[in-house]
Amino acid sequence: MDRNHLKRQVDLMKRSLFDQGYLDEQFIQLEELQDDDNPNFVEEIVTLFFNDSARLLQNIEQALVSVPIDFARLDNYMHQFKGSSSSIGAKRVKNECTRFKEYCTAGNAEGCFRTFVQVKQEHAILRTKLETYFQAYISFMCVFVLVIFALTYICLLFCLYLFSWQDKLDHLGLQEVKLDDYMDEGGSLIIDLYYKYDKAHMIE
Amino acid sequence: MDMSGGSAEGNDKSEGQRFSSKNKLTALVVDNGGVCRAIQTALLRSYGVETEAVEPGEAAVQLLASGATFNLIIIEMLLPVLNGPETARQIRAMGAQSKILGITSFFDGRQQQEFLAAGADGFIEKPVSPEIVIPIIWELDN
Repeated sequence: MDRNHLKRQVDLMKRSLFDQGYLDEQFIQLEELQDDDNPNFVEEIVTLFFNDSARLLQNIEQALVSVPIDFARLDNYMHQFKGSSSSIGAKRVKNECTRFKEYCTAGNAEGCFRTFVQVKQEHAILRTKLETYFQAYISFMCVFVLVIFALTYICLLFCLYLFSWQDKLDHLGLQEVKLDDYMDEGGSLIIDLYYKYDKAHMIE
Repeated sequence: MDMSGGSAEGNDKSEGQRFSSKNKLTALVVDNGGVCRAIQTALLRSYGVETEAVEPGEAAVQLLASGATFNLIIIEMLLPVLNGPETARQIRAMGAQSKILGITSFFDGRQQQEFLAAGADGFIEKPVSPEIVIPIIWELDN
């Protein structure tokens, strides 16, 4: 699996989310808060948002079908929903929340119904896009970790192989010889092994 | 204040050190929204501010009544039972000298007046961003 290809894919997806207006700079602020102490901060916050917002949307939907409509309660629910949407950088969702608020303040039930459809739509689209984005991101991170692990494993094998030569030479009765003679012209030998060749032992 | 590598407007890690308070500052976030509470807490902690978070206004009042002190208190406008301005009023009535920042999802002049009359020092619309937080921490730090 091409790691660079995956990274490009992840970067393109993220850029697309910003270019199409689904996310704003607040999402970047979330990424800034992600570090070694909080390696999954963004995903955790986004997951929390979609769990909380699903409940809020359900509350709003129930409030909209109640008779008479309690606009104060609707306003409270939307207040909370808009606050969390803006806090994660969900730009389109936030904008629809603002439109809903205007109709709610005016006591316009039809306007509320209409914009609520848009709110749910934008919310669902964002959820799908972010789920896809995080899946791609996780795939990239898995490949990245695998590559690091593989490189570490190869280095370890190489070190074990080099150290095993010392055992083999000791077994043959060789003492330390200098391996400078075995350096290539570029002098790129990483590890210097010193053995002396004991002719007396070889005769024996 | 350690501003090397950073700016008052942002927290660009690529420029080197992240902005951080030089003194031990404490903050309390009062918000009934889990997402907002988590983000505001993480943001303040990233600047070296020891931050606690509570959901209802009553919990904030009880915390201060028990002797806890905070340099900064961020209070959401629409809290259940004890709303934001009333929470701020009760905190001020206890003699707390904390900087109190009212916060809301939809900016409203009437809400702003209500919060300021209750003793808040400022009133902003969400989201809480570094552009808002860093100058406040700077002011508290100095």
